[in-house]
Amino acid sequence: MASAKTCITQLGRTSLTTLGRTQYRNPPTSIINYFQQTTRHASSSNPQKSKKKDVSKKKPRTNFTQYDLRAAEQFSLCDAMRYIRAFEVGRPRASPKYDIHIKLRTPKNGPVVRNRLRLPHPVKTDLRICVICPPGSKHASAALKQGAVLVGEDEVFDTVKAGKIEFDRCICHVDSLAKLNKAGLGRVLGPKGLMPSAKLGTVVRDIGASVREMVGGSEYRERLGVVRMAIGQLGFSPEEMQRNIKTFMEAVKKDVAQMSDRVAKEIHEVVMIHPTSSPPPLTQPYVSNHAR
Amino acid sequence: MVSLLGIRIGPGAAILPKDVKRIHMEFAVKQNDGHLGPRKFWREHLPRLKYHNPAVAMTVSQTTDQSGPATMTIFYTSSSTITVPSTSTLPNNAPQERTVSIDMKHIPASEILSRLSRLTGLETIRATPEEEAMLQNMEEDAKVRQADAKRSVIQQEQRRREADMLRQAKGEMVGQA
Repeated sequence: MASAKTCITQLGRTSLTTLGRTQYRNPPTSIINYFQQTTRHASSSNPQKSKKKDVSKKKPRTNFTQYDLRAAEQFSLCDAMRYIRAFEVGRPRASPKYDIHIKLRTPKNGPVVRNRLRLPHPVKTDLRICVICPPGSKHASAALKQGAVLVGEDEVFDTVKAGKIEFDRCICHVDSLAKLNKAGLGRVLGPKGLMPSAKLGTVVRDIGASVREMVGGSEYRERLGVVRMAIGQLGFSPEEMQRNIKTFMEAVKKDVAQMSDRVAKEIHEVVMIHPTSSPPPLTQPYVSNHAR
Repeated sequence: MVSLLGIRIGPGAAILPKDVKRIHMEFAVKQNDGHLGPRKFWREHLPRLKYHNPAVAMTVSQTTDQSGPATMTIFYTSSSTITVPSTSTLPNNAPQERTVSIDMKHIPASEILSRLSRLTGLETIRATPEEEAMLQNMEEDAKVRQADAKRSVIQQEQRRREADMLRQAKGEMVGQA
C-alpha cells in the first residue's frame, strides 16, 4: 500500500501539477459515489443510531431480556425425553443427562433464588460429604450413619491444609465453628465454595438431618436470571422425571413467593435440555429419504 | 430445529421389527484397527434408530483393547419366529433370547447400517411432506446466503479500494498544500 501511495505521489510530482489539480476537482466517479454514500448514511441511518445510543445511555436495562415465546416450539415431557434419549443413546443409564432451566422475569439486581432440595429421585448419588464436628460425639456418629465420608475436627483441617480435599460438600456443627475459623481454612475452601457458613445453611445444629438432606439433595441458585439444575438421570422413566420436575418447580415457586415482598419475580420459561459434551448429529445427507 | 429434523430423518431413521428387544454394541475406544466405523455408527446412525424405536434398549460399551473385536449384538424376544440368513449369524443357544451378531471391524458406518437392515429388515422412515418442505426451505436459504456472502465480499473489497484511493488522494493534497 505504501508503495502504491509513493507511486501516485511521484506521478503527481513528475507529471503536470495542473493535471493533478483538475483530477481533484473532478474526482473519479467511485470517490463521488463514496461521498454520496457517506452523506446518505449520515442523513438517514446515523441519527437513528445516535438516538438509540442516547436512549440506552439514559436508561440502562434493569431487567434481563425477555424473548417472545409465542414462536418457540413446545414439547410434551415424553417427546422431549424421546429426543434426549435418542441424542444420548449408548450412554450409561446413571449419567445425569436431564437439566432443567427456569428463566425468571426478574430485575438484574436484588436477591436471587437460592436453595437446596431433596428430589424424590436423587440425581447425583455419589456426593461425598465432610462433617466438621468433635470426633466421637453423637453428632459424629449420626453423620457417619447418614453417609458422611469424612468426620472430625483437627485431622480434617490437617488433610485439607495438605491439599487433600476428597469431598464435594462440607458442613460444620455450630460448636465447631470457632475452631474452624481459627484453623484458617477459608483460603483453601473458600474458592471451591466448600467453606461452611451460616448464610449458606452449612453451619447447623442437627448434623444428622442435614447430612441426610444433602445425600441425594441438590442445590440450585439463580444466575443471570436463570435457575439451572440437573433434574434426572438418563435411565429415569417419564413418571420419575415428572415427580422430580414437579417437586423442583414447586420449590422454586415457593422461593419466588417468599421473595415477593422484596422483589417481583415470575417464572417465564422452562427449558429442559441435555447437557451433553457431544453435539447431536446434524445435517446428514438427506438423499436417502428422497430416494426410494 | 435443524438438529431435531436431523434426528427424525436421514440415514438410520428406520423402525426395527417388533421382536428386536435390545441392541448392544461393543468396540474399542480409539479408532485405529478398524474401530472407526462402529463409532461413527454410534454417533450418527444410532440416535436416529433410537428416536424411531424408543422402546428398544440400545447400549454401547467401549473397551480399551484396540485389537479386540467390534461386534453388534441384536437380542430378539423369545417368541420370535423370523428366520435370519445364517451367513453372519452366531446363534447363541440361550434359553430365553435369541441373539444375532454383526462383525463391525473394518466396516464403514453406512455399511454397518445396511448390514443391520439386511439382517433385521428395517422399515425406513421417509420424510413427510412438511419435513421435505422444511428441507427445501433450508436449501433455498443456503443458496440465498451464499449469494449474499459473495456479494458482500465484492462490496467490501470495493469499499476498501475506494477508501484507499480517498486516503491516498487526501495524503497527496496535504503534501501539496
